[in-house]
Amino acid sequence: MGQDVIPAVRIEGLWKRFGEQAAVAGIDLEIPAGQFIGLVGPNGAGKTTTLSMVTGLLRPDSGRVEIGGHDVWQDPAAVKARIGVLPEGLRMFERLSGRELLACTGRLRGLPGDEVDKRATQLLDVLDLAGSQHKLVIDYSTGMRKKIGLAAALLHNPEVLFLDEPFEGVDPVSAQTIRKVLERYTASGATVVFSSHVMELVESLCSWVAVLAAGRIRAHGPLAEVRGEAPTLQDAFLSLVGGRAGAEGENLDWLGGAR
Amino acid sequence: MSAPALPSLPSLLGTFAHLKLSLLRNGLRQSSGRKAVYITSLVLTALFAALELIGLIALRGNEHAAALTVPLAVLLALGWAFVPLFFPGGDETLDASKLVMLPLRPTPLVAALMTASLIGIGPAFTLILFVGSVIATAHGVAAAVIGVFGAALALLLCLALARAVATANARLLTSRKGREMALLSGLIIAVGLQFVNLGMAKLNTLHLARLEPLADILRWVPPGSALDAVRAAGEGSYGLAAGELALSAAVLAAVLWWWQRSLAAVMVSADASTVSPDASRKDAGRAADKGAGLAGLLPAGRTGAVMLRSLRYLSRDPKTRMAWVSALVIGLIVPAVNAAQGNGSIYFAFFATTVLGMHNYNQFGQDGSAFWMVLQTISSPRDAYAELRSRALAVALIAVPYTTLVVIVSAAITDNWRDMPMVWGLCLALVGALFATAATTSVRFPYSIPQEGAFKNVAPGQNGIAWGGMLLGALVSAALCTPLIVAAVWLHSAGATGLLWALVPAGAGYGLLIAWAGLRFAAPRVAGRLPEILAAVSKG
Repeated sequence: MGQDVIPAVRIEGLWKRFGEQAAVAGIDLEIPAGQFIGLVGPNGAGKTTTLSMVTGLLRPDSGRVEIGGHDVWQDPAAVKARIGVLPEGLRMFERLSGRELLACTGRLRGLPGDEVDKRATQLLDVLDLAGSQHKLVIDYSTGMRKKIGLAAALLHNPEVLFLDEPFEGVDPVSAQTIRKVLERYTASGATVVFSSHVMELVESLCSWVAVLAAGRIRAHGPLAEVRGEAPTLQDAFLSLVGGRAGAEGENLDWLGGAR
Repeated sequence: MSAPALPSLPSLLGTFAHLKLSLLRNGLRQSSGRKAVYITSLVLTALFAALELIGLIALRGNEHAAALTVPLAVLLALGWAFVPLFFPGGDETLDASKLVMLPLRPTPLVAALMTASLIGIGPAFTLILFVGSVIATAHGVAAAVIGVFGAALALLLCLALARAVATANARLLTSRKGREMALLSGLIIAVGLQFVNLGMAKLNTLHLARLEPLADILRWVPPGSALDAVRAAGEGSYGLAAGELALSAAVLAAVLWWWQRSLAAVMVSADASTVSPDASRKDAGRAADKGAGLAGLLPAGRTGAVMLRSLRYLSRDPKTRMAWVSALVIGLIVPAVNAAQGNGSIYFAFFATTVLGMHNYNQFGQDGSAFWMVLQTISSPRDAYAELRSRALAVALIAVPYTTLVVIVSAAITDNWRDMPMVWGLCLALVGALFATAATTSVRFPYSIPQEGAFKNVAPGQNGIAWGGMLLGALVSAALCTPLIVAAVWLHSAGATGLLWALVPAGAGYGLLIAWAGLRFAAPRVAGRLPEILAAVSKG
């Protein structure tokens, strides 16, 4: 990557402590534009905290975040217009139907009403939600929620899309739909940053990955570089974060034995 | 491979009794706040039970004692049957769907669940009341022996009823609509308790003999019949006593059979969460049409979108709906009740206005963690101002006509039309002042509103914030109205009653001005505190 190109996201010295615990302990990262980026790490690695701080949902203790060259906390107008977000563990306006949610979100984003309704119709259609568009979001399944959340995040055609665990609890059919939409979106030159702990998924989707563990970046770069000599990203990941190798099977010798 | 042996009945009973004891013990292992509540409720229940027991024992010898114990038994059974429906989650062993995967047949399961039911604060409390009832009415050895059986039967019947009704309504208890209905029924129960309270107060002043006609009917309704058997045995009517006991036993058997049947049905039928998407189609379609009509009337852009969302939440979100209904009803009832008691005053209109106006005091808390969707679209004080203004407008759509209505009604019931324009003008100014302070309290004192539980409106640990914000806001709102109050008092004392009508437009104008100023003041603070507000409102 050339030095003169503005990265999609630039993170410098990012810290966040909750009490004694440092959830994010000094992250420096430059994420290239126009690629499918995977942020991987075990549970509790600080993925959600990092993404929350990058997208303005959580104020960092210290550090800087720039998106497309604009500081998240100094120039929120420029940043919020350029990003789409699908957080994990936060509710949406679930007493609205899918279509009402999109109509509301688009208008809050300042898009003209007609344009919002046109885009909403297309998104509902592509994401296979047209049949449930009048159902309240609170009655949606996990997969449907992720899809309507994705639609709301894409509505204003952002340059960078941040997705926290977009495939968690999603059925294979919905996952495939989400995948198709995301691939089409990155093909247009946009950047997708998504977090996951499913290595196979990251390996098959992403061209660039950052490995996060205990609040720090352990490795980052193009997928092949991070994987290195290891046969799969899973193996590379386990050796990076120090997963327990070998079987502790002797204590379970009854399992599968005579019944 | 042979199939693993099913657990034997005694070990099963032991397991369930142990499970229930663990659940009770775990009540003590929560956060210190909850532990305090748990222990307090234990102590209060014990005290209440002791008082009731003493009261019942004192009745011993009263010839009409059975006229109280029989209706009491029926009332207890009714309570056991229906109260758990309104407070689901009270007893985790009640939820049959948690036991589906265990290799248990319905009959041993019923026995085991019944054993678990016997352990707890509620059963102990009920048993104490039944023992007290027996002591009050048992005269002679035969009556005492019948009393032991009667009390046991009555208790078992209460517990079986609770289980059977809960299981038959399992679908209701686990579905969203059912839980939301339970939320609203909290209001009904609260009102109903007032009536029971009123009745109890009346009863104390009446003679127990007045209950005899009621008891005459209820002695044939189990578990009332089990308790009446004690009285009958004491009077030597052994045949009647045996018949009454048999009736209770037969009803217990029928309830157990019904319970076992619904248990079997619940365990093999589909989970409610996988209903087909078409099920609610018609309903939702209708709702969408209604919204579309409303949307056409509202301004375009953020203002209309936010107003529409607020108004939809008002009708669809159970918590919001309940808060609004309570405020609207209380605002009208309090002036009316006071007028009926001879304390009527047109100035009670201020109370109604304040109750309603405070609805926006935690406006971001009403969004819950969905506030992130708003946060993502606010990047300047201008955006924040538009958001605050739209939310205030949505509430004003209801608050302004309602205030006017309350003022007119108050004037009519107190027949005080002379002060009406002044009160109206001041109320309009107060609405504006409340909107102004609501914007600031929403930024400075945001708190989470838990989704579950009819009576929990503040997340644990945020009570101070909630009350502080409301108290401070109400005081500041009143202070903000000072110029208008001074003008009103001056007009009054100067005897310029003809000019009092000028206070209506003056109040409206002043209210608008102060609301505008308040929102302007709060907007940059909203824009500057977005992540902090999100953190505060996401705890529920």
